[in-house]
Amino acid sequence: MLIKRSGIGVLTLLLVSILVFAATQILPGNAASAVLLNTATPARLHALEVQLHLNRPAVEQYWTWLTGILHGNFGTSLANGAPVSTLVGGRILNSAVLVVAAGVIGTVLGVGLGVLAAARRDSLLDHVLSVGALAITALPEFVVAVILVIFFAVVVWHLFPAVSVFVPGTAPWSNPAELVLPVATLVIVIVPYVLRMMRASMIDSLESDYVQMAQLKGVPRWRVLFVHALPNAIAPTIQVIGLTFLYLAGGVVVVEYMFNYPGLGQALVAAVSDRDIPVIQCIVLVLAAFYVAVNILTDVISLAVSPRRRLPGF
Amino acid sequence: MPGNEMTVSRRDFLKSGLTLGAAGAGGLLTGGLLSGCGTGNVTRANTIPTAGKPRRGGTLRAGLTGGSSADTLDPLNAITNVDFARIDNLYEPLIALTPDAQPMYVLAEELTANAKATEWTIRIARGVTFHNGKDLTADDVIYTFQQILNPKAPTAAAAGLASIDAKGMTKLDNYTVRIPCTTPFATLHQTLAIPGYSNIIPVGYDPTAPVGTGPFRLKSFSPGTQSTFVRYDGYWQSGLPYLDEIVITDYSDETSQVNALLAGQVDVVNLLSEDVISEVQGEGKNVLVSDGGGWNPFTMRVDTGTFSDVRVRQAMRLVVDRQQMLDLVFGGYGTLGNDLFGIWAPEYDHGLPQREQDIDQAKSLLKAAGAEGLHVQLVTSDIAQGTVLTAQVLAQQAAAAGISVSVDDVTVNDFYGTNYLKWQFAQDYWFYNFYLPQASLAMLPTSSLNETHWDNSRYNSLYSQAIATVDDSLRSELAHEMQQIEYNEGGYIIPFFPPVIDGYGANVGGLVPSKIGLSLNAYDFKNLWIS
Repeated sequence: MLIKRSGIGVLTLLLVSILVFAATQILPGNAASAVLLNTATPARLHALEVQLHLNRPAVEQYWTWLTGILHGNFGTSLANGAPVSTLVGGRILNSAVLVVAAGVIGTVLGVGLGVLAAARRDSLLDHVLSVGALAITALPEFVVAVILVIFFAVVVWHLFPAVSVFVPGTAPWSNPAELVLPVATLVIVIVPYVLRMMRASMIDSLESDYVQMAQLKGVPRWRVLFVHALPNAIAPTIQVIGLTFLYLAGGVVVVEYMFNYPGLGQALVAAVSDRDIPVIQCIVLVLAAFYVAVNILTDVISLAVSPRRRLPGF
Repeated sequence: MPGNEMTVSRRDFLKSGLTLGAAGAGGLLTGGLLSGCGTGNVTRANTIPTAGKPRRGGTLRAGLTGGSSADTLDPLNAITNVDFARIDNLYEPLIALTPDAQPMYVLAEELTANAKATEWTIRIARGVTFHNGKDLTADDVIYTFQQILNPKAPTAAAAGLASIDAKGMTKLDNYTVRIPCTTPFATLHQTLAIPGYSNIIPVGYDPTAPVGTGPFRLKSFSPGTQSTFVRYDGYWQSGLPYLDEIVITDYSDETSQVNALLAGQVDVVNLLSEDVISEVQGEGKNVLVSDGGGWNPFTMRVDTGTFSDVRVRQAMRLVVDRQQMLDLVFGGYGTLGNDLFGIWAPEYDHGLPQREQDIDQAKSLLKAAGAEGLHVQLVTSDIAQGTVLTAQVLAQQAAAAGISVSVDDVTVNDFYGTNYLKWQFAQDYWFYNFYLPQASLAMLPTSSLNETHWDNSRYNSLYSQAIATVDDSLRSELAHEMQQIEYNEGGYIIPFFPPVIDGYGANVGGLVPSKIGLSLNAYDFKNLWIS
């Protein structure tokens, strides 16, 4: 099954690359006019188009790119001539740090708070958490980011950097202060989803017969929660966590833009406005591959934690 | 007169007893305006006047918008603001602009034209070295012009300098070059002063290890992200630069850029809008507003369609309330326009009456042209600060004369895509340029960026006379007559010249207002210091 899913995944990536290439052809302007702007005299435009091979037929351009990929060559940026692999490689690392840090912290917080809310159902804490989660869900990332920047960087306290600028080539974790606000923004955005899902499935679990049985047997409360109820409540939450990671891969675009964080999302925004097709293709493929991989992974983990579903008939 | 102003500032500068060496090397003591046959008005000054007490050392962190991943270090192909910021510190031109936007010798010591303006002789400064230690000589100047005019890879300055006969250039001695021109070219000194037009590179220039003669040399460069520069200790103007290092970081928008300034992560920011002035000042940072010479025109095609009738063009110009437009878009900062470009040029005709809104006149012109209830589409895009808002204001103002303007806001790529130079009614942005050099780029049938498709035989013949006239005042008279035609019949609406708004921390010294239209001392950081 895994092999079949992976095969379909590769096919998906191929389709994505064709669609993206077609989209870049429909967009007005090309990399040459995007670079030259108001200095695009016909002579300059023509010279640059020839230099970038933009005067060749679209199908030929795509074929050159595709055969390059199959040889492990992602091409060079149309905007600045740098190899796409080095350009995108560093960005992948930067974004991955952001996504993983926010995903892990957000998941742990969300699951923890969800369990807490379910365990103290209808208490003041539960209500505060539920209402708070609902309120935050209504806030887009950029609003959260602006609020954090105002409070923690610019106006009220000058605790953390307002933008994440680090020397190109250095790893993001060597600049931990620069990570605080972007990670916090993403965490705040994802926690409510995990929390609400976790709370709901935990309540289901706690109301089930076997949990009541355990309580009647006199099993300690913590053991009921974490050993009896949680394992059964986690399966639906894993799907939500998977979705959360998928959301993060897109959500970083906004957050990176807000904090000027040199990640994949910011590079994609720049590449689209530069009509830098090889870079667009590479980043979209990376993101698409991430989607495919996370989808497969969540299914595998869901199966692993719910043995019943592995039986025929489920 | 700009020359006098410069002298006063320089005297103050010298009186304060600072950097005497720099002043001496720059020849300020013998300075003043050079006049005489064909040299034009070129100030001899290598130092921008400064206030306060400069301090050596430190790092300046600049947070700049306007760049992209197409950022370049190529001195012959600077396009965006951030390109200029890097290039103006790494390289130096033969001639630059003073803060008053007048020509000023840098690597050139003297330019002289023959009587017909068909041949120029350039004498260059001695004792100047490139960052690799090589002396600047006449060979480098010849090599640079050959690169600028390389027909296989036309550079940004190629169209403006097309009259130069690249093959005929000769070296008279190590520091003197003779430049013949295929057609008369009396404005070479002005053209070379345009930012990015005469940056000198050494023979055999290697783009992967770029060297110039500028006050800073390259340390690292990552397009669209960050670049760093360190002080060039062998810089020929002694005592300069003050800073040890410059870090230039690209910012994608004003919000993150201003946040970085307020949080103390950068020292200077460029291209601010009027909206953030109070926020920046409220948090203890400084704002410098300059009157820029750049211009963002509306372009009406004079050759086809509605605007081929001169009365319709005149009506469009008359519906504009320029002061209101400037108030709405730039909070009243900036300078009113009169549908003419080149506002700081000596040839600019300040005698023409300021055009005011006149709805009645506009209506009667439209009536005469049979274009009452005119409906036009205006193509706009976020190509420069405030362009979209300016278009929207125009649409509102035009409604008063019964003209319905539908504003089509397209992406920047769409704007400069296949329809660029073909739009019927659109906008554009230009950096400051002198009147005649700008006319050669955009107002002649041979101009490669003639977006209004302007082709007026009287105008063309006046240009041919002016470009062959070495005498400054005679040339100015001809240019005035050209402007009169343009003022009456042209296809541009130039409502204003936008201000340039910079933000900087209290620790930054040396910033002065500049009319050039580029931010932060036109990105020349050698006179800035950190205290």
